This record gives sequence, structure tokens and C-alpha cells, in this order.
Amino acid sequence: MDDRTWLVLATFLYLISAAWGAYTLGARRVSATRWNLALILGAFSCHSVFLYLRGEEIRHCPVTNLFEVLAFLSWSLVLTYLVIGPVYRLSILGTFTSPLAFLLNFFALTAPVDIPNQLPVMGPLVELHIALSVMSIGILGLAALTGLAYLIQERQLKRRDLTSWFYSLPPMGELEAAHRRVLTFAFGLFSIGLLIGFFIPHDSVSDWVKITWSGMVWALYGAILLAPRWLPLSHKKIAWCSVGGYVFVLLTFWGVNSFSSMHQFTAQPPASEQRT
Amino acid sequence: MNAPASLPLVCGGLDFHSAPVELRERAAFLPHELPAALHQMRDELALPETVLLSTCNRVEYFAVAPEAERLHQRWPGFLQNYHQTNQDFAAHSFQLKGPDCVQHLFSLASGLKSMVVGETEIFSQIKQAYEIAQSSQTTGKWTNRLFQSSFAAAKEVRTHTGITRGRISVGSVAVELAEKIFGSLAQRHIMVIGAGETSERTARSLRSRGADSIIVANRTFDRAQTLARELDGRAVHWDDWIAEAKHVDIMLSSTRAPHYVLSRDRLEDLMQVRNYRPLFLIDLAVPRDFEPSINLIDDVYLYDIDDLQSIANRHLHNREAEISRSLELLKPHVLKYVSWAERQRELNRLADLAGRTWDASPSPGTNPPA
Repeated sequence: MDDRTWLVLATFLYLISAAWGAYTLGARRVSATRWNLALILGAFSCHSVFLYLRGEEIRHCPVTNLFEVLAFLSWSLVLTYLVIGPVYRLSILGTFTSPLAFLLNFFALTAPVDIPNQLPVMGPLVELHIALSVMSIGILGLAALTGLAYLIQERQLKRRDLTSWFYSLPPMGELEAAHRRVLTFAFGLFSIGLLIGFFIPHDSVSDWVKITWSGMVWALYGAILLAPRWLPLSHKKIAWCSVGGYVFVLLTFWGVNSFSSMHQFTAQPPASEQRT
Repeated sequence: MNAPASLPLVCGGLDFHSAPVELRERAAFLPHELPAALHQMRDELALPETVLLSTCNRVEYFAVAPEAERLHQRWPGFLQNYHQTNQDFAAHSFQLKGPDCVQHLFSLASGLKSMVVGETEIFSQIKQAYEIAQSSQTTGKWTNRLFQSSFAAAKEVRTHTGITRGRISVGSVAVELAEKIFGSLAQRHIMVIGAGETSERTARSLRSRGADSIIVANRTFDRAQTLARELDGRAVHWDDWIAEAKHVDIMLSSTRAPHYVLSRDRLEDLMQVRNYRPLFLIDLAVPRDFEPSINLIDDVYLYDIDDLQSIANRHLHNREAEISRSLELLKPHVLKYVSWAERQRELNRLADLAGRTWDASPSPGTNPPA
């Protein structure tokens, strides 16, 4: 099997997991979350095999084009869920993680973005910068999903409309605590990734588009984390900012990289070389 | 369900459907009375195996009886003899035989036949009744298997259906909501405004779930002190309650005030001081104590008595809707027990036959088969 087939398999398993998760949430079958976890673990294994094979093939950390970056990002998202889910008793978040992982992979597989990029040897600093930055964006995705779960619970409680989701999702207090921790962890990782970027030697002009975008994202999440210390801010607003911030990141990530001078996933070779 | 004649199980007695409470209380057995009652029942009614279940909603027997009809006729007399009464138990007693008896116990253990559908206390009551019978040596092969199977069946029903889900009283719904807002109630502070009975009960439930402290505010300070003592809390003067509210997480109110005790403006100021820590407001008063638009403030969750009652009713309705699904889950368990029982009967019959054949053997002095 070639590497893309493994990713297709992983994506298919994420889709099944998303559908199963939606069913179990509606049917309030708590015991069924074990099956969902097994599905996610299966998908994650296939996902990991893809990244390994791709890395072996290109002899780089598999983040050399948008296709690989999206696959790495969704992998980071799922990895974080698998670590955090059991620790914070938030296994139910898998129901939210699978659809996002599916969408990211589906976009990566169907959009014409898997274009081989003959990059020179990057060196450990660049690879660390890319890996940490992409991973932190994946983790910010999990934070956004936790924020989304919080907003769903909040809405149901406010409207006194307690559906089966209300009973399946964790208490708001636990979601709030997990949301803050995941945000803090992702922000820390993102900051380190950015900081490493400043130490990477480059030829001439700085990549102002990407630097500005990264600075904006960093400032946004920094404000989300620090604002409650100085302002009377409800967690509902923080959750909205986290979800909105992540939508902004996802929507602008591709565009910003296209306009960027050093971070773009350029189609250097002819289109005929695109992997299918 | 068609009962095969081979299954010797019988159950019956009085329950809240068939007998009024005045009669049930005369027939009830205290736990310490059960061993003696079991022995008396076994001897008087000639029962090889028997278990007695006595709760506030039912007094029932589960027995192996060669003659079910005779047991049905003599059960009321046993109750009269034991309790030294001449109450008419016969008119209110029911009896089920064979697979219907199996189905009855399994449904009972699953909470399907409880007055409050899905309550789990009946499970431990059945377990206790069985353990007492077992230690009194009035159980045997048929009842041991029957009760153990009922526990497994009830466990499956509880796990795979929503029969026990959702609280069904105002107080317990409030506790459930509080746990959904805060997670654990440990370290949470409660304030009781007014000294109504429902708020007192709800405060007790919250305390039993780990709430850290209770503050009681009432227009009459003496009454506040009395209630605070009962709840192991602290009384505050009426004029001070808003200042104390800064630190509380759950506020219960049941005053008789003809106007709102807490307005939206006042709470908005309070929420700023609280730095928007979540606040759960439970308004048990009629007329209401909290201005309804308070619910529009972020991190404030306001529920009045009608909201809580409506959630409790919905839960009960949901539980009742789960009964048919639960019965479907019980079917294989009942069939499994019945099949096992039939196999046992067949083995017994073959053993009897083998015994008779050996008895009829013309070779005296031969050892019986092992």
C-alpha cells in the first residue's frame, strides 16, 4: 500500500467514528464511547503509518506541502485528544475530534495540494519550528472543540432544553478547566515554535506576511488566555473567541502561506508531477 | 409467555398494585424477622426452596412449590399466623408461575415494576432478601440460579437502557443540574434564602453530594439560625445576604416576598464583583424571588420550580418509554433460565429413570452406577 492509501483508510475510519459518535450522543449510549475510542485508535494508527512512510519517502519531516501539513495538523489534533481525553475524563470529545480530523484529511486528499516540493535539507531547527507550530495549531483545534462542547452545554442550560447531548457531554466546570489547560499548552507550544523561527538564519528579506499572521494568532490566543485575569470576562466569551479564533486560523492558513515568501507550498514542478 | 409445566417456580404476594398500604404494612417483615419467617414458611407450606422479599411497596415470595395452587391458598393463612392477624390477605394476593415468575423477578430487579420506574433501591433490596434466604438455608438450586440470573439481567438493563437516567424529583433535578454546571460539588458554597421546606430538602441533597458550606438568610434571624443548625451551616442577617452572595456558587430561594428579592441590575453588579464565576440560582418560591431576565446574564443559570418540575416529569416519561426496550433485553435472560431449568428437569428425569432401571435389575449385589 502506498502512503496515501493509509491516509485514505484513516480518513474513512474517522468518518465512521464521527457517524458513530453522533449516533451515540443522540442515543445516550455512554458505553458505546469505548467503540468510538477503538475506532479513533485504529484511524490514528493508519494516520501514523502514513506520516512515517511519507517521511521516509521525502527524507523530511512530512510538512513540505499543504497536503502533508494538513495531515500532520489533524494527526496532532487526534494525538492530543488521545492523551488528554482519558486524563481529563473527556473521552466524549472524540465525538467532536473525529469530524474535524475527517474534514482536514478529506480536504487534504481531495484538493490539489499534494505537490512534491524538492526542499533542501532543512536542518533540525527548521524541522522543529515547523513541527511545533503545526502541532500547536492541531492542539488549538482540540481547544476549540472543547470550547464548542462548553458552548453547547451552556446553551442547553440557558434554554432549559436538555437534550441527550446534555447528559452525554461532561459538566461545564470540567470542560472549562480542560479548555483552559489545552489552550495554555497549545499557546506555549506555539510560542516556542515561533521563537525558534526567529533563530532560523535566512538569506535576505523577512517573511512579513507570515510573521504578521503568526503574530496576530499569537496575540489573539494570548489575549484569550490573559484577558480573564484583568477583565470580568465570562467563560462563554472565551469559548466563543477560541472557536472563532480557530475558524480564522483554518480559513486563513492556506491563503497566508500562498502569499508568504518563505512558507508557501509552491507548485515548483509541473502539475503532472502531482501525486494522486 | 407459555409456561412449561416442568418449571416448578412460583412467586406471588402483595404489591402496591394489588394491595393498599394499610394491608401491606400488616404483612411486612423486618429484616431481622426474615430468617424465622422463612423457616416457618418452608415448614408450614412444605416448600423445598423459598425467598421472601419485604419492602414498603411489596411483600412477595419466590419459591419452588410442587403444588402452586395449594401455596396460593395457604399463603394468606401463613401471613395471618405469623403476624397474628385476621386481615384478608387472600383477596389482594397474586401468583405467577414458571416463566412468568422468572420474568417478574427480572423486571422487578431492573426497576421496571417499581412505583418510581427505574429506581435502583429495589435491586439492593432483592439482593438482601436473597442473601438472608441463602444464609437461612432456604434457597437451593432453582432459586440460587434464579436470583443470580436476575442480578445479571438487571445490570444489563441498567447499562444498556435509559431506565435509571434522569432524576425525577425537584430536589434531585436541582442537584443533577448543579453537577452539570460545576462538575464536583466539593468546595461549592450554598446560600439558602428563606426557610421553605423544599429549599431545605434541596440544600440537604446538595450537601450530601459534597457541597462545602451552607449560609442561611431569613427575614427572621431566629428561624435562619434554627435552619442553619439543622443544615450544619451558618446564619446571616437579612441585610447581609447580598454581600455574602459574593462567595456562593448555588443560591436557593423560597421566601414569601411579594416582589423580586434579586433584580437583574443588582445581580449584574454582583457578577462583576464575582469576576463572572458561574452562579446557579434555584427559585423555589411562588411568587418568584428572582427576576426572570437574570437568566440572560452570562454564567448565571436560573431555574424556577416549574422548570425543575418539568424536567423531572420529562425524565419520568423517558424512563417509562424505556420499559418496552428493557423488556426486550430481558427476554433472552428469561429464555436462558427457562432452558437451563428444562435441562435440569430432563437430567432429573433421566436420573430417576436410571435409578428405576437399576432397581429393576435382576443382578442383586451389583454396585449402583457412579
